[in-house]
Amino acid sequence: MDQAFQGKRVIKYRQGRENPVGKATHLASAQLNTPYWITGVQTEDEDMQDFLFSLGCYEGQTVTILSALGENFVISVKDARYSIDRDLAEAILV
Amino acid sequence: MKIALTGNPNSGKTTLFNALTGQVEKIGNWSGVTIDKKEAPVRKKWVAGNEEIIAVDLPGAYSMSPFTAEETITRDFVQQENPDVIVNIVDATNLSRSLFFSTQLLELGIPVVVALNKCDLNRKKGISISVEALSYNLGCPIIETIATSKGHNGLKGLLEFAILSKGKSQKAPFDSSEVDISNKEAVEASDKKRYEWVQGIIAEVERRKVTANKQTKQDAVDRVVAHKWLGFPIFALIMWTVFSISQSSVGPFFADTLVGWIDGFYAWVEGLLGGGIAPVLRVILLDGIIGGVGAVVGFLPLIIVLFFLLSLLEDCGYMARVAVVMDKFFKRVGLSGKSIIPMVIGTGCSIPGIMSTRTIKNVRQRRTTAMLTPFMPCGAKLPVIALFAGVFFNEAAWVGTTMYFVGIFLIVTGAFIVVRITGERGSRAYFIMELPEYRFPSIKRAAVESFLQAKAFILKAGTIILLCNATIQLMQTFDWNLNVVADGAQSTSILASLATPFALLLVPLGFGAWQLAAAAITGFIAKENVVGTLAVVYGITNFINTDELALISGGDSVAGIMGLTKVAALSYLMFNLFTPPCFAALGAMNAELENKKWLWGAIGFQFGMGYIVAFLTYQIGTLVTTGALGAGFIPGMIAVLLIGGYITYLMIKGERLAYAKKKALA
Repeated sequence: MDQAFQGKRVIKYRQGRENPVGKATHLASAQLNTPYWITGVQTEDEDMQDFLFSLGCYEGQTVTILSALGENFVISVKDARYSIDRDLAEAILV
Repeated sequence: MKIALTGNPNSGKTTLFNALTGQVEKIGNWSGVTIDKKEAPVRKKWVAGNEEIIAVDLPGAYSMSPFTAEETITRDFVQQENPDVIVNIVDATNLSRSLFFSTQLLELGIPVVVALNKCDLNRKKGISISVEALSYNLGCPIIETIATSKGHNGLKGLLEFAILSKGKSQKAPFDSSEVDISNKEAVEASDKKRYEWVQGIIAEVERRKVTANKQTKQDAVDRVVAHKWLGFPIFALIMWTVFSISQSSVGPFFADTLVGWIDGFYAWVEGLLGGGIAPVLRVILLDGIIGGVGAVVGFLPLIIVLFFLLSLLEDCGYMARVAVVMDKFFKRVGLSGKSIIPMVIGTGCSIPGIMSTRTIKNVRQRRTTAMLTPFMPCGAKLPVIALFAGVFFNEAAWVGTTMYFVGIFLIVTGAFIVVRITGERGSRAYFIMELPEYRFPSIKRAAVESFLQAKAFILKAGTIILLCNATIQLMQTFDWNLNVVADGAQSTSILASLATPFALLLVPLGFGAWQLAAAAITGFIAKENVVGTLAVVYGITNFINTDELALISGGDSVAGIMGLTKVAALSYLMFNLFTPPCFAALGAMNAELENKKWLWGAIGFQFGMGYIVAFLTYQIGTLVTTGALGAGFIPGMIAVLLIGGYITYLMIKGERLAYAKKKALA
């Protein structure tokens, strides 16, 4: 594949999804139904960080909260749905 | 040739494997059902030529860097066992994540064929994928499959391409062979590029009418079934429905008919034997074998119905939501929502339940779950519950339901204790669970599953349980001098003399009779044996239709024959349910705990809990119903205090250790 082509696509992808400024610092404080792009995953648990990476949940990718269920959140990453707890939501920075 | 089935969790690998090979491996609609590799030959009807193909089903993995134990199996297999072809099952509704793993598989040099599965769902969701363009970009054949379908499912085409690919080389579309794998940052940078590459491909080959991050009906359902307050009552209601259908309505309805047939068979054999046979042989055959095994087999319909309903539950996608609902409760005692899945599976049979703990990442959580799962009453304990509910409580539905809730209570208490003993209280463990799409459960699959369980149950009844019952019958017929025990001198039999010392220990629990002790002991071989042994030692054959039974045994009630009060009966039931499970389940615990200290700790804990629960039930119950304490209160209380004291000592020790660790860190 043409490297230049890929690079362009990623830039375009990011530009279209500006985070609502100043509204959230981590996922637990983010708004529902709003795509955010992830600015980082902050945890000492490296295995979890790697796992999130393999799901496509890492810096530069987008994430959307679909439901808040008490202590849990339903999020959409790539084309899948996950339920995560508040601790993990707080570790995902947006 | 050997083909390895790989792909993301819940992409349909086992469904495809079962369709290809005609096997009936366990399927469920959540991530991490398959926990081990399975091999079987592919059926001839899918293969055009004469090629012998072995399919290997592997646990799902998100990438080549494993997170949990079962993902390691997958990586090791494709890296080290040199399959001829890798069949990569890709969930067509989730290309953007699946292709990450695909590109890693394509780098192994082994020819890859992609099965683009669940493509029927794509039509429904308005997703279109250009298969040609995807195939061109990945550099491997892609076949659209619908593994759940019988007809045009794409399996023939898949195998055709697999055979054609054998022996060929595989070019990697995304090559990371230059990357230094010991350098974590370099690997991460390369993997980011990999994901970007995948995104580029997706933009080219996939069109979606609606993006995946928009609200759907599924989300609306989730907000109800996994609701903060409603979630738990809904789960409790669903489980209650499962148990009441299998144990109080539909199950017993069929059981009545079955027991009628067994009684008929008993009478028929009795007639055949006539008077021309030695009485000892006659007793062994009629009461020992037909009566004992018949008493157990009579409960078969309850098991069939239970497994049928559990299979529907596992198939529809609800299990992942239960994990979400239970997470906040389990978190308080150091577990996570994932621990509920082994426990729900364990209501069918503890062994697969215990084995499924492998998908739990945290070691302590995994071991705690494995040692506590047997507290959920399993299918084999169902006959025991049904027997006591029928005989002593007029088939009241609350008996069964209460047993499950006591089981849950013991699990929560157990977890509360274990997290303190291990000194890991306050350690943080994240929870993440993929939420699969709901689907209408397959009636056919549920029927197959319950048929398999029925087969296993009958097999067990015809072998282990038959053998045990015949042995028990022999042991109670003869004394140590091998003379036939005279009527009225039953306590001189081999069985009685062996069981009496144990019976003494059980006096404080309300059931110090040797017959009951013997039944509880045989229960460790298989829990159904409790019913079989009781049938043999009390000479009862029909536990289901108790009115009839009362007539047969001369107007006396079954409850009278056993000589138990209602409270003592409840205590005996709980003792059987909550002491250690059968040996087979202990074997599974041994395998999953991987540590002798944990194993013996777990067994000791189960004995301790079973004893305490039975003691409290009997003594408090007796105090309430009669106004006086039951027999053997003082020695029992001493035993309970010793057990409780030791557990408390271990907890304090663990807490101190945790405190010291925390201090050392700070």
